[in-house]
Amino acid sequence: MDEHNVPGGAGLASPLPAALPRIGKRARWRGAGVWIARILLFLCLLAGAFCSLCPSGRTAVRALTILPGILSASQPIWQKPVAEPVVHTLRTLSTASGLVYLDVYAPSAGAPPVPGSREGMLMITGVGDNRQEPQVVNFAQTLARAGMVVMGVTTPALMDDRVDAGDREAVVEAFQILQHWPTVGAARVGMFGISAGSALICLAAADARIRDQVAFISLLGAYFDTTTLLETLGRRAQVVDGKTQSWSPVAVPLQALASTIAPALPDGDGALLIQTFANYPAGALSSQQLAQLAPQSAALYHLLAGDQPRSVTENLAALTPDLRALLVQLSPSSVVSQLHAPVYLLHDRTDQFVPVSESQAFAAALARLHHTYDFAEFGIFQHADVRAGTGLPQLLGDGQRLFRLLSKVAQVGS
Amino acid sequence: MATFALLLSWAALGLLIALLALAARLKPAKWRRAGLLMFGLGTGFAGGLLGFWLFGRLFSCPAALWCAALAVCLPAAYTGLRKRLVGVV
Repeated sequence: MDEHNVPGGAGLASPLPAALPRIGKRARWRGAGVWIARILLFLCLLAGAFCSLCPSGRTAVRALTILPGILSASQPIWQKPVAEPVVHTLRTLSTASGLVYLDVYAPSAGAPPVPGSREGMLMITGVGDNRQEPQVVNFAQTLARAGMVVMGVTTPALMDDRVDAGDREAVVEAFQILQHWPTVGAARVGMFGISAGSALICLAAADARIRDQVAFISLLGAYFDTTTLLETLGRRAQVVDGKTQSWSPVAVPLQALASTIAPALPDGDGALLIQTFANYPAGALSSQQLAQLAPQSAALYHLLAGDQPRSVTENLAALTPDLRALLVQLSPSSVVSQLHAPVYLLHDRTDQFVPVSESQAFAAALARLHHTYDFAEFGIFQHADVRAGTGLPQLLGDGQRLFRLLSKVAQVGS
Repeated sequence: MATFALLLSWAALGLLIALLALAARLKPAKWRRAGLLMFGLGTGFAGGLLGFWLFGRLFSCPAALWCAALAVCLPAAYTGLRKRLVGVV
């Protein structure tokens, strides 16, 4: 036998042994690919089942659907196939102070068998007639597209740029109407307040007729106590995380407070203050005009104008007992111990309408009462509007906080 | 248009799951590739319909996903179980 023909003999060239390692590698990769595909399939099964069968999965899906709509202030295109068609209904409520408008945004379809009924949310957006405001309409429609029924409440006082504690009755009645709205589960109705609307939300949520039925209270840009709000305005400074910082408000809260408190001032004084702050800062009063005001009216002027930051305590003391009682009546602090629903606070940390120190005080009070609450500060909001041109890191950080709070709200309907 | 896009997305999810099943070698020997793809498409569609009715529009796509994933695994699971119990390929 020729050694050249003996398999394994020295010098014999054969293609087979060199090819074996390559074929083995290919088979290994193929094997790995099979297992990767199986793992992906299993993950798809888990993810799909979690997002449809589990309440917490459905909550996450709902919150993830709502979040882009809020942040972009419009409906993302990819949501159009899965968004529920929405119907807008306008109802009115006759009250002693006039017609209260109820703008209801609801999915047009009936409630699905799981969970059997829809979540409702009563919303008050603050002073002014905000019913046609694009961001307000977008917000209500975004929630409705995610399966919620949203009822916006606008009272005559709010349209007059003032807060009236008497509107509490109308808000309670609106809440009860929402509880009985078609497809809404009576135990799945919460409340959402923005800015001055938060005070009415808290006053109504503390009402004995409904306090045990409110599923949640969510407040954006809320104030806690009208007196401390006046104090902050008067000093043009707020205490945030224990540090005093200067703070300059825009004209809107001054106008709202002047309009709200004016009816409790002597005739003429109230109208003058409303006129003054409607043109703020241009319409500052002369010393002659100030001299003609009643002491409590002058004190209120100085607090709102912020022109006597060192005399805030004296100016607050100059307010009459009636005025002080009115301030207490309009404060969520007066009813915080009567709230039974969990409270979720959101606040723009550079808010120039209501200082963030107010929500911090609210959170501190809730903590002292061992009340269920959550509180987050944001940079993506400008008071209640979504800020344009926010950078990605801010968007991601605040988006994660907003998702957390949205999940708590959406949990109720899942 | 939105509803058509939704139906299409259920079918697409089912097809995607069937492609994954092919890559995972879960196709029974007697089945053709096209058969598994159609099966995945069909079960994705059916799962989406079930999810739409049971949970609402928003959750129909996750339902399509898990229904298709479960369905494409069943033939391979059945074959494997039969092999173990009966010892027949």
